[in-house]
Amino acid sequence: MTGTGTPIIEGRGLTRSFAMPAGAVTALGDVSIRVDAHDYIAITGPSGCGKSTLLHILGCVDQPTAGSLEFEGHDVGGLTEAERSRIRLTRIGFVFQRFFLLPMLTAWENIELPQSEAGVTKTARRARTRELLDYVGLVERSDHRPSQLSGGEMQRVAIARALANRPALLLADEPTGELDEDTGAQIAGLFDRVHADGTAIVVVTHNPAVAARAGRHLAMKRGRVVTA
Amino acid sequence: MTAWGLAWRTIARSPARSVLAVVGVTVIGALLFDMLLLSRGLLVSFHDLLEAQDFDLRIVAAEGSMVHRPPIADATSLVEAIARLPEVQRVTLVRTESAAAILPGGDRAGVRVGLVGTTAAGTGSIWTMISGASLPSVTDAGAPPPLVISTGLASELHLAPGSELQLRLFRPGAASAIPLVTARVIGVAQFTFEAADEYTVATTMEGFAAAEGTRGSGVAELVLVSSRNGAGPAAAAAISRLRPDVRTLSNDQVMEQFNQNAFSYFRQISTVLSSMTLAFAFLLIATLLTMSVNQRLGEVAALRALGFPRRRIAANLLWESVLLVGVGGLAALPVGGLLAIALDRILRQMPGVPVRLHFFVFEPRTIVLHAILLSVTGVLAALYPIWLATRLPIAATLRREILS
Repeated sequence: MTGTGTPIIEGRGLTRSFAMPAGAVTALGDVSIRVDAHDYIAITGPSGCGKSTLLHILGCVDQPTAGSLEFEGHDVGGLTEAERSRIRLTRIGFVFQRFFLLPMLTAWENIELPQSEAGVTKTARRARTRELLDYVGLVERSDHRPSQLSGGEMQRVAIARALANRPALLLADEPTGELDEDTGAQIAGLFDRVHADGTAIVVVTHNPAVAARAGRHLAMKRGRVVTA
Repeated sequence: MTAWGLAWRTIARSPARSVLAVVGVTVIGALLFDMLLLSRGLLVSFHDLLEAQDFDLRIVAAEGSMVHRPPIADATSLVEAIARLPEVQRVTLVRTESAAAILPGGDRAGVRVGLVGTTAAGTGSIWTMISGASLPSVTDAGAPPPLVISTGLASELHLAPGSELQLRLFRPGAASAIPLVTARVIGVAQFTFEAADEYTVATTMEGFAAAEGTRGSGVAELVLVSSRNGAGPAAAAAISRLRPDVRTLSNDQVMEQFNQNAFSYFRQISTVLSSMTLAFAFLLIATLLTMSVNQRLGEVAALRALGFPRRRIAANLLWESVLLVGVGGLAALPVGGLLAIALDRILRQMPGVPVRLHFFVFEPRTIVLHAILLSVTGVLAALYPIWLATRLPIAATLRREILS
């Protein structure tokens, strides 16, 4: 753990076990992590080592079976489901390996959707969406649906969607996992810009090129952080 | 984007499935609409027929009903006594028998008709004149009995006012003792309760007695009473005091008798079929929405991870259900209307059903009930898919979607 001010998110002794027919399986064991503003952290490790589980806990979509998690000073374990949803909507951005754009909506609409849900006014939504499309270089593709976009373009739209409500923290789970090397590099470059513009990033990746760009690097093995 | 807008886009995303769903709801909704029309159609139509007759009280023998009407003894004096009651505007005796209507010089078997004997005050209420004159108040002694015949009989036997017609009552085991009476057609009319496969002939009580070969038995099976405005209950009570051996039924009581007996089969059928159609609608929508949710679990989990609350996911699915059921339900109305017309034609061909009686009758309340039942079904059908989508474990679903 690093940093001295109030962290965006801080987990202590995070453990996550899953009940299985053959007995409980511990996917994450006693992991502590602190993410400060302007951090850019890469989490790497072999498949099944608990990277995504940790990311999901940091993103408030899963809860640890032991340990504590604080988001901007609030104990996440004490929050209601609706309050955790609100944090995810307004303070955290998620980027997935498979993009998960809504296929019936255009790029513009996909980016506008989280803002609409957060109650942003129509005028502000338009301005922000235009700004983000310009930011990811897809202004001309704004009225295209995901099926009309390439993998790299879809991921750029997904990043723009994740940034729509100006989150403090951007979480990305294998963001280049579905992309070729060149496109992956473009996405990694985009993350650099996002980080430079003041958003903390935690990225789970198998891609060494992406991991190399991060300021901090957590290597995981069998549910534990082995190097930090 | 509103939940409604997102639901619309989701439905439009799979046009073939959505069209099939809407067509399914349309067909089911049309059947439901027809069953709702049938559930009250006979009652409404029969009520209209009763009201069209301008009589608000019907008197039958104490042990009888509107369906089974044994003779009322000394009905003539009863009618005279009722006519004197201040609550009563007019009163009419009715007798009915089956008879053969024979053209002079024609086939001796003749045409089977329903012969109605009635007192003069009954004219203009039991039938509607088409041509000629109605029955006279006083019959000339020695003159042939006057007849008002139905349009169907006039057409069948080529009769018109002025034509002669012979009548012979059907009395099982007494055919040889019944005289053949020659009567004169004075009018052609539409009879309120005549069925498509029946012919009706009305005559005076004197004419009826002549057809019976008597001077009048003084019995009748039905007495129709028109009370003065608002005096129906008082008139009924007065009649009961006059003759405790008769039953006086208001139009509502007559309706209730038919509702409990003759019409209950249709009501039960419509209830069973309505329930079945609602069950089919529920299964159809629930299955389609569940399939739809299962196909996009990853999207739902991603939306939840992005911070969309459960209520928003639930609202989207609810709107999807409402849209499918709403569009299908609206389309069901004209389809159901056309189907009701066709089914009404078929059912009215049943023997003995009055021509003016309808099985499927439109009422505004039917549309309201149809909308309520379909809406409730749509909401109930969405409950399981909503539960599925809002309760899914976000992290596990995302992991599963990526691994798959």
